[in-house]
Amino acid sequence: MQGEFQNGFKCADFDALLAEAIDGTLTGTQLMRFEAHRESCAQCSLLFTQARAGYEWLEALPEVEPPVALVKQILAATQETARAETVARHARQSWTERIRELLSAKVRPVFAAVAQPRFAMSFGMAFFSVTLMLNVTGVRLTSLKHVDLRPSSLVRGYYETTGRLVKYYENIRFVYEIETRVRELKRAATPEEKPSGTDKQQDRKEQNRGNDREKKYENYSREDSQPYLATTGNGLQDVLAAVRRWS
Amino acid sequence: MDDAQVVATLVRRCVAGDAAAWEDIVRRLNRRIYNICYRFTGSGDDAQDLTQEVFVKIYRTLGSFDVEKGSFITWVTAVTRNLLVDHFRKTKQDRVTDSLDNTGAEDEDLLPLSEQLADNGPSPDVRVHRRETQEMVQQALQKLSPELREAVILRDLQDMDYKEIALALKVPEGTVKSRINRGRVELARLLSRTYRQVM
Repeated sequence: MQGEFQNGFKCADFDALLAEAIDGTLTGTQLMRFEAHRESCAQCSLLFTQARAGYEWLEALPEVEPPVALVKQILAATQETARAETVARHARQSWTERIRELLSAKVRPVFAAVAQPRFAMSFGMAFFSVTLMLNVTGVRLTSLKHVDLRPSSLVRGYYETTGRLVKYYENIRFVYEIETRVRELKRAATPEEKPSGTDKQQDRKEQNRGNDREKKYENYSREDSQPYLATTGNGLQDVLAAVRRWS
Repeated sequence: MDDAQVVATLVRRCVAGDAAAWEDIVRRLNRRIYNICYRFTGSGDDAQDLTQEVFVKIYRTLGSFDVEKGSFITWVTAVTRNLLVDHFRKTKQDRVTDSLDNTGAEDEDLLPLSEQLADNGPSPDVRVHRRETQEMVQQALQKLSPELREAVILRDLQDMDYKEIALALKVPEGTVKSRINRGRVELARLLSRTYRQVM
């Protein structure tokens, strides 16, 4: 059989082991069979000689020195590539994507801190407090104008509010004083009767009620109906007219 | 930590956007890639351009490197080989099938400057003879088919093992060995013919 020699070692087997044989990594039985075949097969022997010569020729080639500027050129080229890719990516993006990307880079760290439950709770409480204060002081955010926030406007607003409050309290006191006088006049104008037992009791009740009213006038508090009473011009005029009639 | 692990760490840092790691990779690998390109093309200028091109390609595709599929060096070698094959196909029409008599003037400056200036080395005659031999071998290498050329360059000049070469070239290990054998034999035949002509 062509290409087959003793021990069943073929030329194809020789070819398969040729590279290792030249590298010097063949050992033991394989090396012995390889060497035996090489000695007995002229064709394979020539092949080995040529492959060995080619290997030795290549060994003669030294490692070449790259140009000194090569590293700088490579770094410059890759930087340029990175820049071009960034520009191309931005060009492909729509303006909304660009804004989203920009904002996400800036907002994400802030939002991460804000998203903490403790911060959200504090923020909620602060919002509630501010809203409550604004409601109590009668400030409506929808009616705020830029001019209202000027220092001069704020000072003027302060004095106007103070004036209104003083006027309101004085009006209330005046009305109650008039009512008291009217009641006294009414009592004075009524003919004095000998009080019976039941009348005495009624008088006492009336007196107590009057005392309670006086106490109430002294310790009055602000209620929703009072500003209307205090600021109603007609009501005051009616009272004054009644006083004049009685007197 | 061995060299492969250091390079793997550098790659991870580079993928994370570390510019210094990229510079380190370039400094470590530029010599190796330049040598492969130079031995494949036989031209210093082409090798320089191709090395640059290889690094740009690596930089762009670094994220696709899978450490499970092989070492970084093998991956880089595969990228280099693919670009070299592309370059070979592109320049096939322009290539002149010149004889081995052509002398490569650009090879003059290939030796390190220290070796060129050193006086305590071999005699000028020996140096001239050695340079001529190297030029002949390089030109013979250019005569090999790309498949045989890349196989012998990676094995005999870059000292890669058969398994790494098989991974880089994406062919079975047996094919790699066969190509290396054929490449060496072909080179020896070409050079013996040239030697006979010179003598």
